[in-house]
Amino acid sequence: MTLQFRFLEDIAVADCAFEASGDSPSELFRAAAQALIATLANPDTVGASWHRVVARQDPELSSLLFDWLSEMVYLKDAEGVVFREAEAEVTRDPSQGIWQLRGTLTGELIDPNRQELRADVKAVTKHLYDVRQDGPRWIARVVLDI
Amino acid sequence: MKLNTHMTVNRIKDEVWEIPSSEKAGMVVPARIYATEPILESMDSGVFEQVTNVACLPGIRRYALCMPDGHWGYGFPIGGVAAFDLREGVISPGGVGYDVNCGMRLIRTDMTLAEVQPKLEPLLTELFKLVPAGVGSKGSVRVSREEFAEVMRKGARWCVERGYGWAEDLASLEQQGCLAGADPSKVTDHAVERGIHQLGTLGSGNHYLEIQVVSNDRIFDPRTAAAFGITGHDQIVVMVHCGSRGFGHQVASDYLKVFEKAMRKYGLSVKDQQLACAPFQSPEGQDYFAAMNCAANSAFANRQVITHQIREGFRRVFGRSAEELGMQVVYDVAHNIAKVERYQEGDLLVHRKGSTRAFGPGNPDLSPRFRDTGQPVICGGSMETGSYLLVGTEQAMRETFGSTMHGSGRTMSRAQAKRSVRGEQLKQQMAKRGILVKAVSMSGLAEEAGFAYKDISEVVESVDRAGITKKVAELRPIGNIKG
Repeated sequence: MTLQFRFLEDIAVADCAFEASGDSPSELFRAAAQALIATLANPDTVGASWHRVVARQDPELSSLLFDWLSEMVYLKDAEGVVFREAEAEVTRDPSQGIWQLRGTLTGELIDPNRQELRADVKAVTKHLYDVRQDGPRWIARVVLDI
Repeated sequence: MKLNTHMTVNRIKDEVWEIPSSEKAGMVVPARIYATEPILESMDSGVFEQVTNVACLPGIRRYALCMPDGHWGYGFPIGGVAAFDLREGVISPGGVGYDVNCGMRLIRTDMTLAEVQPKLEPLLTELFKLVPAGVGSKGSVRVSREEFAEVMRKGARWCVERGYGWAEDLASLEQQGCLAGADPSKVTDHAVERGIHQLGTLGSGNHYLEIQVVSNDRIFDPRTAAAFGITGHDQIVVMVHCGSRGFGHQVASDYLKVFEKAMRKYGLSVKDQQLACAPFQSPEGQDYFAAMNCAANSAFANRQVITHQIREGFRRVFGRSAEELGMQVVYDVAHNIAKVERYQEGDLLVHRKGSTRAFGPGNPDLSPRFRDTGQPVICGGSMETGSYLLVGTEQAMRETFGSTMHGSGRTMSRAQAKRSVRGEQLKQQMAKRGILVKAVSMSGLAEEAGFAYKDISEVVESVDRAGITKKVAELRPIGNIKG
């Protein structure tokens, strides 16, 4: 199995929840980003003229994922973009006990005439927020405020 | 009666229900829910769980309240009201919501349905251009960082000073569209960068701009309606529902993070992470209050710029000035806010999350034009079923910290709504019923279908019968713009 996500219907009636998973923390971060990307717009309708590298570190993997998704929500408004895809490399420095993220976002400036826009995400929330390892799989549950 | 909770819920009056403080460990006060029996039965389990969680917060006074449009929210339920002692109590971003000062504005006109209907399509097209909506939309008003700081301090007043509105508009806005205590130095760069280009934009989700009609037979209190400028006779009015956009969302996100640390610092524990709070008098609590006031003022400014654009749209389509068309603001009221207000206990910090201020006649905080009537209360329904104009009462001052409902309240998930109807299909169905829609996102439109919400008339009956607000007029939609 590789990275995947699915939307959860019964968790947030007025909003949007998803579960993302992958065989590694890197895959988990990519899967969660893809779920957020698909919430904002149909990625197949979004071009690839805009790029941004996001580098973060945190002792907690769950905090790092929260910051990664929150940064995407921030960039959506601050840069006026929607996304096509996300790459993420997540590594752990055992000597310092710190998780490090190097992510790359690709997308383009918002253009409702060309893109299939969906929901404007206000925030990533801590409601039922959960990041865990289940055997070989890394799994996150995220609720977005719409 | 079958409720979605195992908790004991006692009937206090016909439309008032109480969960005693013995029902959950840690409850400081009882919880009270305002609802008719059918509405109470339709409430999800989250309402009962969350309103009793709120009743556990330090310094809460009298009751944790939930209005009839209540449903599950983050931390507080939507429809939640809670008042805290200024010295012993807390402030919680979860009691305000991510969309700080999300609120409603109603603009009247002297136009009738017969005059507007033939030009409804071009009117909506013009307004759709003038009031950007949807994901990440940017407004036409460009401001520097210094000017944006002025927006944070002055709110709607900044707009009027720049020509986006009339001086008389300010008397018809809650707190004249400007909350004191806003301090831009308490706002992060991230928040500014998210919001600085969004003045005059609607956003998406359940936010909208709607053209509505007031028929004679849907005016319940002609005298108060007339005092609010509502005359009936198929009168056209315009309703706006939106908030502080990315700026307010980021303020909330930033301070939830701050408060997680503050909770440890002050030894506070809560039942739900989204109820993160800090003592109101702590540096963290005061900083959030100052930043939240900045966001609230930006929301007043946002709705003021949108009002200016609506007036411009009408002028372009009908060839007469907004003054000639009688386009006065009826009222503008927040439904996601925390404010210091005076009650029998003294000054309290009142959180309203998906709940509207409903001050009654004689309240000194109201503009003179509303002192005799009480404050207009604007409650938005779904885009298919209509909305209501109500008026605040003295009873609300006594019972609910001057608060009432804010809308109809969602009952169906967005995904389920989308499975039930496609956006294009819904648009056609609504057109057949005389409601035209312009939407940026067709999936977003389907999510907002009328069947995804409670029956607003039943919700309004709850507050009307309970006496915490009284019905003035029902407003029927004929044109809707959505993100």
